[in-house]
Amino acid sequence: MVYSLPEEVLEHVFSFITSDKDRNVVSVVCKSWYEIERWCRRKVFIGNCYAVSPAIMIRRFPEVRSVELKGKPHFADFNLVPEGWGGYACSWIDEMSRSYPWLEEIRLKRMVITDESLELISTSFKNFRVLVLSSCEGFSTDGLSAIAANCRNLRELDLQESEVMDLSGHWLSHFPDTFTSLESLNMSCLGSEVSFSALERLVAMSPNLKTLRLNRAVPLGKLSTLLQQAPQLVELGTGAYSSGIRSDVYSALSKAFLGCKELKGLSGFWDVDPSYLPAFFSVCSRLTTLNLSYATIRSPDITKVINLCPNLQRLLVLDHIEDSGLNALALSCKNLQELRVFPSDMYVADANVTLTEQGLVSVTQGCPKLQSVLYFCHQMSNSALITIAKNRPNLTCFRLCIIEPRTPDYLTHEPLDIGFGAIVKHCKNLSRLSLSGLLTDRVFEYIGTHAKKLDMLSIAFAGDSDLGLHHVLSGCESLKKLEIRDCPFGDTALLANVAKLATMRSLWMSSCAVSIGACKILSRKMPMLNVEVIDENGTLNPKLDNCLVEKLYVYRTVAGPRSDMPGYIWTMDRDSANKI
Amino acid sequence: MDVTLGLLPGIPGAGDGGGGVPPGGSILTKSKNKENNHNMSIEDSSPYPVDDNDDYDDGGDLKLGLGLSIGGGLKTKEESFRILTSQDSPILKPSCSSSSSSSSSSSSSIVGTKRTAIHSVSPPNATSVVGWPPIRKAHRVSILANRNKSELEEFSSRPKTKNITNGHHLTVKVNMDGTLIGRKVDLYAHTSYETLAQTLENMFYGRWSSTEAIGSSRLLDGTSEFVLTYEDKDGDWMLVGDVPWQMFLSSVKRLRIHRNPKMQH
Repeated sequence: MVYSLPEEVLEHVFSFITSDKDRNVVSVVCKSWYEIERWCRRKVFIGNCYAVSPAIMIRRFPEVRSVELKGKPHFADFNLVPEGWGGYACSWIDEMSRSYPWLEEIRLKRMVITDESLELISTSFKNFRVLVLSSCEGFSTDGLSAIAANCRNLRELDLQESEVMDLSGHWLSHFPDTFTSLESLNMSCLGSEVSFSALERLVAMSPNLKTLRLNRAVPLGKLSTLLQQAPQLVELGTGAYSSGIRSDVYSALSKAFLGCKELKGLSGFWDVDPSYLPAFFSVCSRLTTLNLSYATIRSPDITKVINLCPNLQRLLVLDHIEDSGLNALALSCKNLQELRVFPSDMYVADANVTLTEQGLVSVTQGCPKLQSVLYFCHQMSNSALITIAKNRPNLTCFRLCIIEPRTPDYLTHEPLDIGFGAIVKHCKNLSRLSLSGLLTDRVFEYIGTHAKKLDMLSIAFAGDSDLGLHHVLSGCESLKKLEIRDCPFGDTALLANVAKLATMRSLWMSSCAVSIGACKILSRKMPMLNVEVIDENGTLNPKLDNCLVEKLYVYRTVAGPRSDMPGYIWTMDRDSANKI
Repeated sequence: MDVTLGLLPGIPGAGDGGGGVPPGGSILTKSKNKENNHNMSIEDSSPYPVDDNDDYDDGGDLKLGLGLSIGGGLKTKEESFRILTSQDSPILKPSCSSSSSSSSSSSSSIVGTKRTAIHSVSPPNATSVVGWPPIRKAHRVSILANRNKSELEEFSSRPKTKNITNGHHLTVKVNMDGTLIGRKVDLYAHTSYETLAQTLENMFYGRWSSTEAIGSSRLLDGTSEFVLTYEDKDGDWMLVGDVPWQMFLSSVKRLRIHRNPKMQH
């Protein structure tokens, strides 16, 4: 006998399943489950906007309330992707405006969105609540005005690190007097001043405001006013954190912070005047997140702050923290989960900044919950890496950037192969890894052998031959995103692992040794991949099969070749079309 | 035999997109690897307690038939450590055509007109490696802004340059790769590159080798692991020795001793 539960019951059960991965698994159990699941899926995450088309998404999931899309490759963050590459949100917004009247949330990352699209969003979705534009571009404050004016139920507006054309600071005034639903506002990326009175008014009429991230232009003197209006804030991003020598500003600020009993996260801190730091000491004991990565304060001041924050879970800081500050962190912050240390100078080690591998070792030793590390430094050793691996086998994200490419172990002058090898061997749940320093093919052998849960790998200036790439592609079972620059990896490894590419989201290779001939072969063999060659200099000669390509971006897709490619991208289709 | 990484010049489409890497600079060779010291115990050299460092010895099962031909010709410790300047071996000079190092026109250093310090990857402050180090724009902008701000502050508080100069002294910072604590040297106390190099060798002597003293400075010949460079008024890093001494004094802001991995014999 076959028992089957009625649809309504299954739907109710499925409503408790929120993770995308679980939903995907549920949908392939059988045809009826696929049908039921697709009608009740409310959230869709699309990691590569070109992997699927809006029409396909809408056809399969008709009742979606929340869409998240990612556009450009990750290396676009570092200027490796030329202008006009793509990632346009326009067609998505257009089709969703027609088919998803009840859409509530849109989250975009590394995409290009215009003011017209923003206006369309603001008028098409009556219940629109959340707009997150992370590292996006193509819009201005006019688009923001439309959002402010028309989205009556807006809860979250987050412009994280987007490039916004700053036409006017008055977009904030477009929020109507009846607007009271705001919970989260992040405008830290805006370059110019916003109208302060509009900001004050907005904060005053938003009793549910939990997150407020100001931009640099908001003066410190005004911060206390805002804090007094919003003592319920949980996350605060300050503006510039200096104000000359003003004891009245200091005492007002100090008093305002005292009133913020819910504050858990702090960020901002541009242009820090250390004498104003104690103003927020009263909230330190509750802080779980602290972002000082724009603050050029020195180690003693940073250490003072850290010693007051025993509940810190996430710390972002410049290398001014130095080893001494990291030692203090290891002693004080036993709940630390994530650490990011950024360089204060891009190339030269500042002789006044003593940040070495030792600081990182201390933290991995002292902080048992540490899972995620991003660390810029100038020197590293295999022994330190091995120690880190053994101290912290629970690491899930390890990104090390030794600033000078191909820097060897500074003690032994050997490659850092065995150090990174220890990391992948001991940290069995490692899902993200970025390599740096002097590395031979051997490190890739270790990675292919041990890094079975690795989801994303970033490689630069490493390896000796195709064997390195082959180890990774053939060994890393869970690999979804691979980005490589300036490595001697080429055709052989690529063509030996074509099937692997269909199991991954994307592969980026720039300044490597891949030839156009191999790209042609790959395109022919794997029709479900888009093989896009970026030829910005116009020097590519597609007829010469052994001509090397500048940049290659390969990704799986069910949407076929994209129609919005700029002229400098070569694909097999375009090549054939030209020949006709 | 050196292992060539990266790209060979002259192959179309093989450069960094828009990176402006000079033809001579795009041959990337790996620094010499002490392959035969691979089995050296890590515990001997490191302050960190390590128990099993033999996980990654050349066990048979992990090998996939790859012959790692790491560059031979190890630099031995008997090798004398000398500072290299532009008068040294032509290997270090860029392969691009004649350059007059004194003709520094614009501040966007075009490699053809300036002889910049040769390094297997771009010298500090150079922008010829696009997108490296991998820092997002917001942080990059912040770093540059802070640097300009501190230079501006120093500039406004001192009449001339960052360096302490009162007509009798021109004291500049000297940093060396692998050394965190820098030194300062009074350039006015020297009359030529020779004496400067000698002084620097004396200053950093302890950090270069554990063997006996090197003897008189051999700036002009020999091949050393080290290259002496300086930052000029434009913020560019240049090889020391190209210009007359007096001209050098008028444009130098600080010095740096680089470990030069591109050693040839």
